[in-house]
Amino acid sequence: MYEAPVQRLIDELARLPGIGQKSAQRLAFHILHIEAEDANRLAGAIVAMREQVRLCRRCFNVTDSEECTICRDLRRDSSEVCVVERAQDIVVVERTQEFRGRYHVLGGSISPIEGIGPDQLRMRELVVRVDDEKIVEVIVATNPTVEGDTTALYLARLLKPLGVKVTRLASGLPVGGDLDYADEITLGRALAGRREL
Amino acid sequence: MNLVWLALRDYRSYASLDFHPDPGVNVLLGENGSGKTSILEAIGYLATLSSFRRSPDAALVRLGADAAITRGEFSSGPSGAVIEVETPATGRRRVLVNGKGGRSRADVAGVVALVAFLPDDLDLVKRGPAYRRDYIDDVAAQAWPAAATEQTEYDRVLRQRNALLRRDGRSADGATLDVLDERMSELGGVLLARRLAICSLLGPAVSELYADLGEEAEAVDWYYLAAGIGPVEGQPGAAELAGGLRDGLSGARRADLERRTSTVGPHRDDLVISIGGRDARSRASQGEQRSISLGMRLAAFHVLTERRGSAPVLLLDDVFSELDASRGRRLVARLPRGQVFVTSARAEEVPLVGKRWRVVTGEVTAE
Repeated sequence: MYEAPVQRLIDELARLPGIGQKSAQRLAFHILHIEAEDANRLAGAIVAMREQVRLCRRCFNVTDSEECTICRDLRRDSSEVCVVERAQDIVVVERTQEFRGRYHVLGGSISPIEGIGPDQLRMRELVVRVDDEKIVEVIVATNPTVEGDTTALYLARLLKPLGVKVTRLASGLPVGGDLDYADEITLGRALAGRREL
Repeated sequence: MNLVWLALRDYRSYASLDFHPDPGVNVLLGENGSGKTSILEAIGYLATLSSFRRSPDAALVRLGADAAITRGEFSSGPSGAVIEVETPATGRRRVLVNGKGGRSRADVAGVVALVAFLPDDLDLVKRGPAYRRDYIDDVAAQAWPAAATEQTEYDRVLRQRNALLRRDGRSADGATLDVLDERMSELGGVLLARRLAICSLLGPAVSELYADLGEEAEAVDWYYLAAGIGPVEGQPGAAELAGGLRDGLSGARRADLERRTSTVGPHRDDLVISIGGRDARSRASQGEQRSISLGMRLAAFHVLTERRGSAPVLLLDDVFSELDASRGRRLVARLPRGQVFVTSARAEEVPLVGKRWRVVTGEVTAE
């Protein structure tokens, strides 16, 4: 046990994802030794982020205004929507520079083990958008896990009756790698989803 | 396939052990409780990431230590693999295959094959269907590494479906159940197809080896009984099996909602074994059951040798004390050549020639 103020910070840091007791101690002592100004800036950044950031009213991406920059961008194709589990997945898809539509953040995937069903996810909001925004194609980019696949199937059944095209990201081989480095399951899926040349 | 070296730190009663076994037969001799079986268990742990004593991970950590470290190198012809597992007393274990982070059974099944004969193998024949399902799944996972991941995926969707049923019972959301049923049928179909494929290889081998092992004239036979589908003959494809599961699941929907669990699916299947037309589980003698279980392990060994092109590492844990001398010799005669680890309390009961090791609490020395 350290002095109460130090221990309190260690406990808080240790609650963060990916940080154990040892890392929390290291971070706490690092913060203890930096300039007071730097420590204040860190604390201020945390407070400011929490105060200023909210969810985009359309797609539930994080933003500092009513709508996120992607939804506000008029050059983007409003007929295509890419559905992701979490807001940070948007950044990953954006980095490809290949997708010019908009997004929809579900807030997770169907997982009864964790008490998450369709009602806990932003599915109804998506249905409303499909109607309102004249969406033609919904691209489901949930994770290739049991939960992500289940969510994708649920979305397909929910949206197809509305007359919208529902697609799923393909699973397959990493580009530029050797075939013998792929694990069996990935290779198996790539084989199942093969295309004629 | 053979184990080149094994290193243990804080594993069971071993504070530290470095063991360089012979590529052939290794006989580990020692008193009861000296730690012979722990060495076999550690070898098995590297190959399957679970204890064949069905111990939880935390039980493998030496009393008072933070974590058990199990490391070993397996070689198969010119290629080799180092597997390292760090098992903490609390928390998740860490697996490295050739220094890279492995995730699952599939990662180790790709590099190691292993068959273990255990003192309580009688359970395979005598006890509930889960023992036989584990046997089939274990052989399938080693025959096709992808099968291990398929098993994990099916377990995952089953757990999700059961969680929904347990929590919401009759008021469970129908649309969510529909989707889970669909996923469970698909993954279950794949799992079933693998099981039937491995059973079709194991079945004839078991019958033949059983006939070889004893004087008994009666034939051993088996069939696969799929819950919600019935006995399955031949080898239908995964898609056809998924269709059968889909019907089975929708037929069982009412019962599942009532009982708050999944009553249909590969997790409820059985391998029904008969001897001379009698049910082996309830109407075979202890001796017959012992011979059938030996036949099952030997069949696994033969099938894996065939599929992988080299003999798996073989563990014989205190097997000979349970067998009469003539059956023991016949078993040995049927063992293909490869690396073998045998434990025994009495040297004279082991009908195998090989390197002998003396195990005294926490230490292994060549005799």
